[in-house]
Amino acid sequence: MAQQRALPQSKETLLQSYNKRLKDDVKSIMDNFTEIIKTAKIEDETQVSRATQGEQDNYEMHVRAANIVRAGESLMKLVSDLKQFLILNDFPSVNEAIDQRNQQLRALQEECDRKLIALRDEVSIDLYELEEEYYSSSSSLCEANDLPLCEAYWRLDPDTDSTDCLSAPLLASPEPSAGGPLQAAAPTHSHAGGPGPTEHA
Amino acid sequence: MATYSLANERLRALEDIEREIGAILQNAGTVILELSKEKTNERLLDRQAAAFTASVQHVEAELSAQIRYLTQVATGQPHEGSSYSSRKDCQMALKRLDYARLKLSEVARTCEQMLEN
Repeated sequence: MAQQRALPQSKETLLQSYNKRLKDDVKSIMDNFTEIIKTAKIEDETQVSRATQGEQDNYEMHVRAANIVRAGESLMKLVSDLKQFLILNDFPSVNEAIDQRNQQLRALQEECDRKLIALRDEVSIDLYELEEEYYSSSSSLCEANDLPLCEAYWRLDPDTDSTDCLSAPLLASPEPSAGGPLQAAAPTHSHAGGPGPTEHA
Repeated sequence: MATYSLANERLRALEDIEREIGAILQNAGTVILELSKEKTNERLLDRQAAAFTASVQHVEAELSAQIRYLTQVATGQPHEGSSYSSRKDCQMALKRLDYARLKLSEVARTCEQMLEN
């Protein structure tokens, strides 16, 4: 199915070394274990005295047991190296992991923007009412370069223009910084809104 | 065999192999301990020895399979993909939310002050 590509020399050598380590460690475990079992057999005839033979067998078993443990630890190191190699070089799964992460983040971002747009629509309604209340009340400080949202509304309907603060408002140009976000929420809410901070292409 | 399975599956398989290596050593220790007793339990001995041999062969087969798979999919090139762009977009969306929350709290504070005055 997948043909053998020409790997770079270093990768090829590395993978061959992994194979070799695996074979050597497994062989070491099996051989040492078998030898311990064989050594456990008690011989009737020994070349040296029984005590000496016993000591020798004891020492040999210790060494072989240590060899088994060393081979086991070497196998664990091999598994760790394989994990590292897999994470770095297994492109299909790395691609899939990246795609999954991208999807998650994109979904989260779309949900944030969707909620923000819904919030914007609700707040623009309330904000309009608040502004109307504020500018029609006697406690408001009317200046020429005030926020023109209500002014824009009153301009459409000159009969309702009754406040003094609009005596010379038509000559004052609205400050774009103050009026920008609010002009997005026009009274009729007919258009989708201007380029405010909540807009995202 | 699913060649393009998730990395997590392969990593999980490798972790299982690690656990099995620990079990191999434990089985070997149990067999030798059992042999050292005066009265050995032969059935336990046989069972543990068989488990030891089976585990060793299983570990060898699994690791060979993993190395074979890596030989097939590995290239010499580093992987240059990243999820940085979508992470940045998501971060900006969260910043937008924070900003909106900040501005709303300011409006709420202003409204409360107006009500108190």
